[in-house]
Amino acid sequence: MTSSLRTRLLIGTIGGMALLLAGLSVTVYAVIRHALVAEFDVSLTSTAEILAASVEFEAGVIDAEFEEQHLREFNDAEQPAYYQVWRRDGEVVCRSPLVGAHDLPRLHGPVGAPIHSACRDPHNHRRLRAVGLTFVPRTDPQDQDPPRRATEQDALVMVVARDASRLYGQLAFLRWLLLGVAGATTALALLVAAVVVRRGLGPLDSIAVEIAAIREDDLGTRIGQGPLPGEIAPIRDRLNALLSRLEKAFDRERRITADVAHELRTPLAGIRATIEVALTRQREAGEYRSVLSQCLEITAGMETLVANLLMLARLDAGATTLQMERIDLAELADSIRAPFAEKVAARGLTWENGIGEDFVVHSDRVSLRMILSNLLDNAVEYTASAGHIGITARQAGDKVEIAVANTGCTLTREQAAQVFERFSRADAARGQTGVHCGLGLALVQEMAKALHGSATAEVRGNTLTVRVTLPV
Amino acid sequence: MRILVIEDYRPLRESLTKGLHEMGYAVDATGDGEEGLWYATGGQYDVIVLDLMLPGVNGLQILKAVRDKGCGSHVLILTAKDTVEDRVRGLNLGADDYLVKPFAFEELLARIRALVRRGYRQKHPAIEIQDLHIDLTTQRVRRGGKEITLTPREYVLLEYLALRAGEVVSRAEIWEHTYEFHSTASSNVVDVYIGYLRKKIEHADAPRLIHTLRGRGYLLGEKP
Repeated sequence: MTSSLRTRLLIGTIGGMALLLAGLSVTVYAVIRHALVAEFDVSLTSTAEILAASVEFEAGVIDAEFEEQHLREFNDAEQPAYYQVWRRDGEVVCRSPLVGAHDLPRLHGPVGAPIHSACRDPHNHRRLRAVGLTFVPRTDPQDQDPPRRATEQDALVMVVARDASRLYGQLAFLRWLLLGVAGATTALALLVAAVVVRRGLGPLDSIAVEIAAIREDDLGTRIGQGPLPGEIAPIRDRLNALLSRLEKAFDRERRITADVAHELRTPLAGIRATIEVALTRQREAGEYRSVLSQCLEITAGMETLVANLLMLARLDAGATTLQMERIDLAELADSIRAPFAEKVAARGLTWENGIGEDFVVHSDRVSLRMILSNLLDNAVEYTASAGHIGITARQAGDKVEIAVANTGCTLTREQAAQVFERFSRADAARGQTGVHCGLGLALVQEMAKALHGSATAEVRGNTLTVRVTLPV
Repeated sequence: MRILVIEDYRPLRESLTKGLHEMGYAVDATGDGEEGLWYATGGQYDVIVLDLMLPGVNGLQILKAVRDKGCGSHVLILTAKDTVEDRVRGLNLGADDYLVKPFAFEELLARIRALVRRGYRQKHPAIEIQDLHIDLTTQRVRRGGKEITLTPREYVLLEYLALRAGEVVSRAEIWEHTYEFHSTASSNVVDVYIGYLRKKIEHADAPRLIHTLRGRGYLLGEKP
């Protein structure tokens, strides 16, 4: 199997054509050869029949006296012809003078059926054609009462041969002619087909050149803007669609990398500035303590960020394992409050767990805990002072819907639609504590998906409600 | 010299405020875009240190508003965005300098000093007025070769007067450029500190350096 489309097309068309031409040539040659040989043989047979008619059977004796006009041909040394007559038992009755001491092949068959054959001239080895005629000699008609009429027992074999080199020459010429014509036609067709195939495959080459020119840092280009053949247009469309998807994916990667760099640089700048400012002069031990604890606080924020990024990367790669178990939702919701208790109290927020007792879901405890924890974290972060945070759950068919609502939301509907995007803080900046970087809700959504559920956000008045729907 | 820090990341904002304050600068700081806009367009800041990603109003909007209003403040952009487009966009909107996070506090200080000097058309990092020598970088002051020790507050007052040497500077201007917005002191402290400064840099057998022009303000250098 050749790999080049061009070669395959050329071999296919030219090979097929050459085969057809060969078949046609052979047929034409066979028909013409048959006709010419048959004509030659007919003339030879008629000569043989005339000669045979001259042989008489006279009182048991063979009388082979041929008339002068019939013998003229057999005496021409330039274009020799030969005859020879045998008895049935193989005894030679007579032979034409030019045969000399040689014998012609003895072609004998049933009476009246001529046998044709090719043979060689015994003198100059030219090609001859011969006819063998087995016949019963004629009884002399003038003999009114012959002692015995010739019977099958007296049958003679007559072979007449004639120079056929002209015939064979013509046939040889015909062979060469047909071979030459077929060869030349094939060669010409190869040239024409090469040009046609090259032009036909031209659009493929130009597309290949365009594809080769695409660089990985510029995926905005689209290939095959001009008109293209119907077979290639779908390939172009698919490729362009693939390019679009790649471009989007690359853009997203680039944006996320820039965001990650930004999110890591800001706390780094914080640590560095804090330490450098502390080192500008001698300070009290208490001041150093406060600087160190500030740095610790910043690193804790960075740890959370890195952990969230890792978790997102794992969720993206589908590399999380789930351990499904029965979970008391109200109990779980209460257990995640502790880390936020201080913040909730400091900002005068109220918290209400509205999940009924014995509300059980079948889910992965670690993931569900992270979902609730992130939802609560987000709510505490963005609720205005003295606001209210509520968590509720309800069963809807074969789904469980968990909702966390907080007051003091300043998001518009459009902004609410973007809260699940990575690094999308409502207004591109941090919340109250300066450690939020817009990954929490992205994580919630990805984890909900990993649990075969979904997450939505809705703003009504100044209340933001984030709902997580999970299978029971 | 009065500086405004607009940075939404609390630990960084607090450290910068503390560091700059300790260097004698009067520092106002905020983490909110709208509040920052209000400060920036309302006060007489020598330098505004501006983060770009802010809640409310973003940094570039504040920069544009400051420039549209014709405030003379120099703006130093402080951001984690370091692409060429980001820098060019900031500078094209009228920023005077650009520093990418994380940065060395020393570098930020040096850039702020340079911006302050630029604001008073002072290219040399040291000022000489008669036999008074002020090194703006090391904040060391000498008169007649003798080292004079000043408190940060006194130094800032002297630096401001020196940068505007030969001009009459009103008490209100001194107040605007050396005291924070939330300062509890009244503008009378300016007179008190001028008194302290005089005691340290002037003595009986040398010509006066700080002149009081009644009802108009103070003047450092030779009286016109």
